Amino acid sequence: MPRSRTRLVAAGAFAALTLALAGCAGAASEADPIEDTPAAGTVTIEDNHGEVEVPIDPARVVALDNHVFETLAAWDIPLVAAPKPIMGSTWPQYTDDETVLDAGSHFEPQLESIIAAQPDLIIGGYRFAESYDAIVEQNPDAVVIEIAPREGEDQSAELIRQVEILGQIFDREAEAAELVADFEGAIADAADAYDGESSVTTLLTSGGEISYLAPVTGRSLGVLYPNVGLVPGIDQAADDTSHGDDISVEAIAAANPDWLIVMDRDGALAAPEGYVAAAELIEGSAALANVTAVAEGQVVYVDPNFYLTEDIQSYTALYEQLAEAFGA
Amino acid sequence: MLHQTANAAPAEVRTQRGAHLRPYALPAAVLVTCGVLAASLFIGVYDVVGGERGAEMFAITRIPRTIALVLAGCALAVSGLVMQMLTQNRFVDATTAGTTEWASLGLLVTVLVAPAAGLTARMIVASLAAFVGTLVFLAVLRRIAVRTTLVVPLVGIMLGAVVSAFTTFLAASTNSLQMLGTWFMGSFTSVVRGRYEVLWVVAIVTLLVFLAADRFTVAGLGRDVATSVGMRYELVVFTGTALVAVAAGVTTVVVGFLPFIGLVVPNVVSMIRGDDLRSNLPWVCLGGVLLVTVCDIIGRTVRMPFEIPVSMVLGIVGSAVFIALLVRRRG
Repeated sequence: MPRSRTRLVAAGAFAALTLALAGCAGAASEADPIEDTPAAGTVTIEDNHGEVEVPIDPARVVALDNHVFETLAAWDIPLVAAPKPIMGSTWPQYTDDETVLDAGSHFEPQLESIIAAQPDLIIGGYRFAESYDAIVEQNPDAVVIEIAPREGEDQSAELIRQVEILGQIFDREAEAAELVADFEGAIADAADAYDGESSVTTLLTSGGEISYLAPVTGRSLGVLYPNVGLVPGIDQAADDTSHGDDISVEAIAAANPDWLIVMDRDGALAAPEGYVAAAELIEGSAALANVTAVAEGQVVYVDPNFYLTEDIQSYTALYEQLAEAFGA
Repeated sequence: MLHQTANAAPAEVRTQRGAHLRPYALPAAVLVTCGVLAASLFIGVYDVVGGERGAEMFAITRIPRTIALVLAGCALAVSGLVMQMLTQNRFVDATTAGTTEWASLGLLVTVLVAPAAGLTARMIVASLAAFVGTLVFLAVLRRIAVRTTLVVPLVGIMLGAVVSAFTTFLAASTNSLQMLGTWFMGSFTSVVRGRYEVLWVVAIVTLLVFLAADRFTVAGLGRDVATSVGMRYELVVFTGTALVAVAAGVTTVVVGFLPFIGLVVPNVVSMIRGDDLRSNLPWVCLGGVLLVTVCDIIGRTVRMPFEIPVSMVLGIVGSAVFIALLVRRRG
């Protein structure tokens, strides 16, 4: 296969080049006082696999889990490699920086760039969970952790746990505590603003199709039901918890929910704009025109980047958005 | 025994058997189809009879959906039949000749190059791509010495696989892989008033096939026979390919992939009735409509209030029928 050979050669050349560059960077950092004074010692954290000893404030960090980018960006933590294709345009400081190597997408991971980045710490997991074993094996000198929300656990607690671990590692515990406080405050505000009886249905739109996100288990938005105490407009278990189940406008019209919360999956991806935007799909639909949610303008469109982030900040913003919508 | 040519003796015999029922057969089939279409109109989540806005919902979703089923079913079954005539092979249709794969490549390219292009532009490009692709298929066929029953569809499937691999690569490198999946998953779920009307184009295709039926039958006898009876063979092949391409392009853009209709329906009809294209055409139309509508009704009832894409049901039903067909022919 000539193609794979070419790729191998290219990867080899790339790795060599990066090594050379990394060597230069290492030499330069001798004189750099900031890089030269890492916070003392290590901290023991509990990640998804067990106890791990992590260096405090590591210098060379690779982050693969979408949940952590917002926090790391806010704390000005530099990255040496990141999965640029699935980061949209939200974090240009990472995606536009050529010195940050591209770790590829979860469909086509480029694990060799992680090796080339010579990391001290790799925050893996979530979309990259399948590559965990390979990453651990290929990077013996790095500490690999997975701190993404675990399946079957309370998702809010998991987000809090995640940001607290980041706080410990990067010595930003006060900042982490602040993020947690904001998050909990926003949930409480949303629950207070909600009247406790209006029915709510959560939807996902993509490629001009509408699908249904189930309460509790449905991707991203399912957790809103238990956390805010929402009454489901359609209460059905889902088959496809991550991409939703095919639902007709008729079924939504028949359920006649008071509120719709809609996530537009395609809106997050920077590339093609050939999709029908969620608002057009929902409000432009004649069949939905008389649904209470549409008729009374009670449709909440989740930030298009939500599908990519799903981090504590996005949830805080979403709960604030709900508190404002319900309170109006 | 697998037949390569169209009019084989056993089929004639089958036609004779039950001939006394013939005058009533077509009206009966039309009645059955009407019954299924009526069922399609009244099956769904919303209560269209007693519901507050029942009549409105009926007009917004049920009627358009049922019309779309009729149009897509007819056009795909008929274009399958035309392709089988043109290639003189019973196992060729838009999905085994790579036509739909070309159509989807055309659609993806349009969306990537001109995201703002409307439905019409997308359909034109998809149909053109389908046309070019089918011509490539026919050209490759001409250069192949061994054209046995199985080689012809295999060539088509291989060409289709190459095109579809390229489409997937293009989608993967532009981060639209998941969108691609949603688009091409054949489903009538999103067919509502205002979002299906372009499908009427395929009604014209079906009509044109009816008008040119005799020519396609003659073309089905092969180039030599067709030329010797004074037909412009190339023109007929060209026209047939263009019609099939439009049907494939338009349905791919509006509904997505609908596998097996073009393959199963014409084969079942000619097994029962022999190979007179013109008198078979109404049967092929009815068969296409019946198959798609029944599969769609199954898809929207088994998991109410959710739906299962019609392509999935068609895949299951279609492959079962197809295998049964192969086994029966062999025996």
